[in-house]
Amino acid sequence: MAQRIIISLGILLMVVFIRLMNPDQLSADGDVLIIDAMHSAEAPKGLDDEIWRQLRPIQVPVEGRGELSRAGEYVNTRAVYTDDSIYFYLQWKDPTRSITKQSWQFDGNRWFHMSGNEDRIALLFEITRIDKFASRGCAATCHSPADLSKEQWRLATSRASEKGDLWHWTAARSDPYKYADDGWLTVAGNPSGSYRKTGRRNDAGSGGDINNQTEDGLRPLYIQDPGRKPSATGFLLQEDAVKIQDYSMFKPGDVIPFRLPVKPDGSRFDVKAESRYHNGHWNVLLHRKLNTGHEDDVIFNPKKRYSFAMAVFDDSGDDHSKATKALLLIFRH
Amino acid sequence: MAVTDQQCKKNISGVLIAVLGLEQVIANLSKPEIRTDAISWHRFSGGLNLVLLVLLFLSGSVMAFYYSPIPGTAYDSVDFALFSLPFGETIKGIHHYSWNILLVVMGLHLVRAFVVGAYKPPRQLVWISGVILLVIVPMFIVTGDLLPWDQKGYWSTRVRLSIIQSIPFIGDLAVRFLQGGPLTGIVALTRFYALHTLFLPGLLLLLMGIHFHFIRYRGLSEPLFGEEKSVRRISFLPGILNRWLILFIIVSVALGFISHYWTVPLGDPADPTDSSYIPKPEWWVLFLNQLVAIFKGSLSVMGTVIIPGGLFGLLAALPFLDRSAERDPARRIVVMIIAAVILFGMTGLSLMGYIEHFVSTGKQ
Repeated sequence: MAQRIIISLGILLMVVFIRLMNPDQLSADGDVLIIDAMHSAEAPKGLDDEIWRQLRPIQVPVEGRGELSRAGEYVNTRAVYTDDSIYFYLQWKDPTRSITKQSWQFDGNRWFHMSGNEDRIALLFEITRIDKFASRGCAATCHSPADLSKEQWRLATSRASEKGDLWHWTAARSDPYKYADDGWLTVAGNPSGSYRKTGRRNDAGSGGDINNQTEDGLRPLYIQDPGRKPSATGFLLQEDAVKIQDYSMFKPGDVIPFRLPVKPDGSRFDVKAESRYHNGHWNVLLHRKLNTGHEDDVIFNPKKRYSFAMAVFDDSGDDHSKATKALLLIFRH
Repeated sequence: MAVTDQQCKKNISGVLIAVLGLEQVIANLSKPEIRTDAISWHRFSGGLNLVLLVLLFLSGSVMAFYYSPIPGTAYDSVDFALFSLPFGETIKGIHHYSWNILLVVMGLHLVRAFVVGAYKPPRQLVWISGVILLVIVPMFIVTGDLLPWDQKGYWSTRVRLSIIQSIPFIGDLAVRFLQGGPLTGIVALTRFYALHTLFLPGLLLLLMGIHFHFIRYRGLSEPLFGEEKSVRRISFLPGILNRWLILFIIVSVALGFISHYWTVPLGDPADPTDSSYIPKPEWWVLFLNQLVAIFKGSLSVMGTVIIPGGLFGLLAALPFLDRSAERDPARRIVVMIIAAVILFGMTGLSLMGYIEHFVSTGKQ
């Protein structure tokens, strides 16, 4: 009997001791916010899955500068993973659903770009280690010190060996195809494209969008193919578009989208999305395979911890609110 | 039972021994005979210590193949070895859990030796060499902590170096020697790596050799009760060695499973500019940490040097302080009470430290 008690106590002590030996499993380093990814045997079935109600959201504080320097805003973040994929449920307050993205409007005489941009959210993970990313978050990649003018800000890493995995959900351009544009981040100096001064690169494959404008840039070039049902209501996709043959058919007040989403494919289409704008809030579900097999993506190993960063864009092209703390993703078993 | 030449030559191992010319070595190892009461379940700690030390050496050797002792690459090399290599987590886990358990088992070994008065003549030097060994192991931990170049290791090292620096007269010199300059950078990492993988293992082997030498020639302690010195005896080879190998296999498999299911965490990469990071002391150093916290300012030397050094000196000098031949703990009341007070104090300080760093912060 005494021997059994000693053995039982020994086993209990061993378990306690193992926990004591691994305090890092339970805590974050320094001023870091932990996002727990809980394991689920089954994949969540969209935004309405019961599992999201069971999880307590982590409030990720976000704050921008200038007009966006509103303290007290946050992104409610939940994460779940299965044996195969990882899911992020992101919810944030946004009084207006912005999907204009400089759409064309006809005033009876000429076409002009409407004011207004789009809502977006972006996540950044490390593919290879980015110096100080774990302790500073995206401040290590966004070179935006207060004494530098906005035009000089760059999203880039400091060395070619540092690579980030950028998931970019955009309400006007990627949402129609239910994905987040999957890119990657390296040193500044992209030789082509609109991001030539940043370190942003597109993953292999197709996607993104094209500008809907004539060569002189004075009016739209495409319109919804009248013979096709729009693939995404309220949007003009490149695959649904045809060239405008007769501009006289437009009436004052007619609106045509300026940016035409291109059908995504390949590694660029790795991060799938589902969204809902409801009651002044965006609800976005992003999910991806833990290992896509693509070298331009981070590989999620549930035994590791992953630093990441987050930024929210409210009806904005460049201005954004970023997470004020470095974020750490920990897979719970 | 000793292995005879005939037995050796009957099987493959016998042939191998003959080919390698190890007959004399085997014969010498077969000569020592040990009482069977010395291999009972409550006297396993010495053998288990050796198992853990061998596991530490083996796992450390494998990890060294993949380690790069440069601040810019050290973390990535550990990350690669831990998560990208087959069984990487198991090897790292065995290394991690082994040193933790080693500290506990060495503590138990010491407590048992103390309680049964194993430091009494003629085994004084067995005790002293054992106490010195007990001090060497934390040095491995201190030097090994920096090697992954993660936040915890980096900032824990910075704290330890600042404590060492506060030691009067030799503090600055010691830190200059360890760090190789004013910063904890590439020279410090190289020196810690060299200490961890070359100097300290060499010192450990030397001390273990001395410890075993004294055990061999001063003998294991007799049973406390009963005078049956003529109990059954078994030879070191194969009797003891086989049992040790079985223990080695059991411990290896157990630690392998533990490492697989409780993967050793790798913290965030070190950021020497991130002064917001406050390292939490490890369980084994909680009481020392509390001493440092209690004695501040001009009294800090009490917590950093005098009390820890005094305890070590007391332990090492025990055979000369308690010189009576009496080994029965019930008849060594004064010594036992002093030891109990010290143990109680250490446990109390550790609990205080645990509450301060792991409970009241609310971060755990």
